[in-house]
Amino acid sequence: MAVGGLGGKTSRRIGSILIRAVMTLLMVATLNFILFRVIPGDPATLLLGGARVSVNAEQIEAQRQNWGLDRPLFPDQMVDYLSATLRGDLGYSFKFRGRHVADLILERLPATIALVGLAQLAAILCGVMLGLYAGWRRGGAFDRVATGASLALYSTPSFWLAMILVVIFSTTLGWLPGYGIYSPGASIGAADRFLDYLRHLALPVSAVALGLIGQYVVVARAAMSDVVTEDYMVTARAKGLTGGQMLMRHAFRNAMLPIVTLISLNLGYVVAGAITVEAVFAWPGIGGLTVEALNARDYPVLQGIFLLLGASIVGANLLADVAYGILDPRVRQ
Amino acid sequence: MSDRIVQYSPSGRAGAIKGFLSKFLGYGGAQLGLLCLVFFIVLAAVPNILVGPLETAGTATGDFLAPPSGQHLLGTDEVGRDVLNMVVHGARISLTIALLATVISLILGTTIGMTAGYYGGRVDVWLMRLTDFFFVMPSFVLALVITPVVLEVMGRGREILGFRPSLFVILVVIGMTSWAFVARVVRSQTLSLKERTFIDRARVAGSSNFSIMVRHILPNLVPQIAANGALVVAGAIYVETSLSFLGLGDPLQPSWGTLLSLAQRAGAASAGAWWYLGAPGLCALTVSLSFVLIGNALDDTFNPRRRVIP
Amino acid sequence: MTNSSQDKAPLLEIDRLSVDYGLKGVSLRAIDDVSFALRPGEAVGLVGESGSGKTTTAMAIAGLLSPNARVSSGVVRYRGNRLPIDDDAAMRPHRWSETSVVFQGAMNALNPVHRVMKQIAEPCVLKLGMSRSEATARARELLELVGIPADRGVAYPHELSGGMRQRVMIAMALACRPSIIIGDEPTTALDVITQAQILKLLGELRSQLNLALILITHDLSVVAESCDRVMIMYAGRIVEDGTVAEIFANPKHPYTRLLIDTIPNPANGKKIIRPIPGDPPNLISRPPGCAFHPRCPSAMGVCATEVPGLDKFGRARVACHLHRSSQEDKVAIHA
Repeated sequence: MAVGGLGGKTSRRIGSILIRAVMTLLMVATLNFILFRVIPGDPATLLLGGARVSVNAEQIEAQRQNWGLDRPLFPDQMVDYLSATLRGDLGYSFKFRGRHVADLILERLPATIALVGLAQLAAILCGVMLGLYAGWRRGGAFDRVATGASLALYSTPSFWLAMILVVIFSTTLGWLPGYGIYSPGASIGAADRFLDYLRHLALPVSAVALGLIGQYVVVARAAMSDVVTEDYMVTARAKGLTGGQMLMRHAFRNAMLPIVTLISLNLGYVVAGAITVEAVFAWPGIGGLTVEALNARDYPVLQGIFLLLGASIVGANLLADVAYGILDPRVRQ
Repeated sequence: MSDRIVQYSPSGRAGAIKGFLSKFLGYGGAQLGLLCLVFFIVLAAVPNILVGPLETAGTATGDFLAPPSGQHLLGTDEVGRDVLNMVVHGARISLTIALLATVISLILGTTIGMTAGYYGGRVDVWLMRLTDFFFVMPSFVLALVITPVVLEVMGRGREILGFRPSLFVILVVIGMTSWAFVARVVRSQTLSLKERTFIDRARVAGSSNFSIMVRHILPNLVPQIAANGALVVAGAIYVETSLSFLGLGDPLQPSWGTLLSLAQRAGAASAGAWWYLGAPGLCALTVSLSFVLIGNALDDTFNPRRRVIP
Repeated sequence: MTNSSQDKAPLLEIDRLSVDYGLKGVSLRAIDDVSFALRPGEAVGLVGESGSGKTTTAMAIAGLLSPNARVSSGVVRYRGNRLPIDDDAAMRPHRWSETSVVFQGAMNALNPVHRVMKQIAEPCVLKLGMSRSEATARARELLELVGIPADRGVAYPHELSGGMRQRVMIAMALACRPSIIIGDEPTTALDVITQAQILKLLGELRSQLNLALILITHDLSVVAESCDRVMIMYAGRIVEDGTVAEIFANPKHPYTRLLIDTIPNPANGKKIIRPIPGDPPNLISRPPGCAFHPRCPSAMGVCATEVPGLDKFGRARVACHLHRSSQEDKVAIHA
């Protein structure tokens, strides 16, 4: 119970969180390394951009030396690979001849961040609030409707939702664009252009967000259902608090604890949803790039995307641990 | 808690099963889920009897992208194939992939979770590190990068166990990347079972570690495995549909995801051909939802959270 | 103490109270025809196994019945006025201002994410309308009163020992100066020494602030140290009621006798807990007649058919056919 003991516990906790993060990234990079060496074909040629690039024997030999491809796979080549990855050198794209994978990814990242960020924000605000309320009024009419609808949304592939939204709001009603990021044609002012961008964002964001809302309602409802049966809620009631006071002062923060963790663990699924939704709307983000890379079997790009997703998932988990520490005094100090 | 221990006397077990069934079937969600599931299993079992053999561009009979009519209840696709025909055949592909992937995932998850929990120590630490990795990395993301490489290595030629290679690879990859949650649940349950007296009794009686795990621990894990298994199926359907939509499926054995991919490529959404993309998506949604409902009902049956008397 | 409190008007009267819990159309009777009175400053122990109805009785008095509970008959009066115990909103002003509860404070009765100071001050702000600084001053005062240095108030519940948390619970219960405190197994999760300290603290505060105390416990020895009167409950009914001295010297009900036998005897230096043979009462299939007869060493034929009434013996009450047969002429308060 001494303060020093708690400090030790906390630093151990931070230590183990960081070790887990590093381990996960290391395994992502190792998987990339193994997969790339497994692909049929000469690694040197592959590293130069695949069979479609014409290279002469000298270049291949230089590459072989450069990458140490004549040295043993483990540990030499793997260490080289990992250190290159660490420097941000992800190799060259097969499809976009000779372009750096990192450049290609960075180019496409903003469009995806806008899509995922907005969808995630909308889903957290709506989904968590609705779910907390459903859990608070567990068994009531609102709870039943919200839970049923959420389970259905949760089971719906986001890209299918996207296609349905396009059929309804774009093809049939003609309210919103169902394709691309800007309307083609006439050059317009900056303000109009931004509006145009937002109109193009509406359907993709809705498609990703709706699927997430389903999940967050389920998660938040479960968290709140657990909290309302806790002893401290009985204490709060015994203290003569009103329902609203019990909810805001005692239930809310405790219910947020598991929600924070689950939302961060969920980032992988958010990205999965976004990738397929981008494919529906030809949204020029990471999802679009993924589809292009898949079709062209552009492995370096695919692996770069994999690394990016791994890093963002690890980052989200770290963020959740920090948030958890702020919300829950039991792990803080 | 103690009533969740498997009864070994035959009458006790029959009674327990009866009690379980009446409780499980008492949930509206379980009834609905089972009903939908039976419907789709029938579709998957005898597609040829119901709608004839899978149509190809060569055997197609309808107009291009024709809306639903008496002849084609769900309309036709861009080469004139009957959508109903393809959706019913898709049920077989989608369900088989999801169920086989789940079997792989459950076997892996149970083995790893039980081994980690039972042996503890270093085995536990390393197995759990591995589990942590697969826990944070979603199956979809892993499958996205692994599947094309494995396909490239194997080539796209011959069928394996009646599957086109791409489908076989997809189901194996999904199975091998979606076991982490099961492993965690099984491990924690094993840890608590290990401390029970009947395990000690078996150990004193000279049972080997393997036989203790299989005969004494495994039967008591069935509730957890079943409830999570249903959720793994739902997840597997989601991942398979998404991967196939991105073009990793096989057009010669089209699953619902592949049909959606074909619809997307044919521009069905912007052409307003709702019938083409509506049916496969609705099927995937329904089956996935059924498994979620069944999983939730199983979970509620095995872990009643609400107490009647405080 | 006991004699003087006998003369005052009762603070709380429970009159033939029955409470049912509903479960999918089936209803279970948790307490059945319970009557007793509590005078100002009096300490009463409610003792029984789980399922005896002691907690439901306490929750009914505090107006904390769960939504699936139904008061099927009887009333609770506080200072002569009927309490709306089945109306959650109407009970709110009464809670904590008049009756507060010391829960088994171990870990979960205190909110893990708030400092204990804030939790003690909360009812002062919300119920007494104090400003935040007034409430904090009051909370510091209360902490000192229960023997915790006021500066420890910045701690979170998990940073305190079990005994300290229980003291915090008591400080919290005193916040609005109630006249009744219900202790719901307040010492159960504590070690013997801490248990004694907490009971001593409760006793001191009781005489200092003239509090009436209802102590819910499964442990008769706890009652022996801290109560004036004790009521033994079994399967939702009071089976024996008397002063602590009477009950321990001359237990009338066979169940009470068995409960006293289960108390570990410190004289031989061993803590052996001998459970009472048989299963605790099952409310779903309550035995006919006296609910205790399947476990009763002195059961007779009549016990299986007729529910014994709670008969008066001077100030004491007993519900048992053993005593009934020899006391036919006594006036039964419940026929």
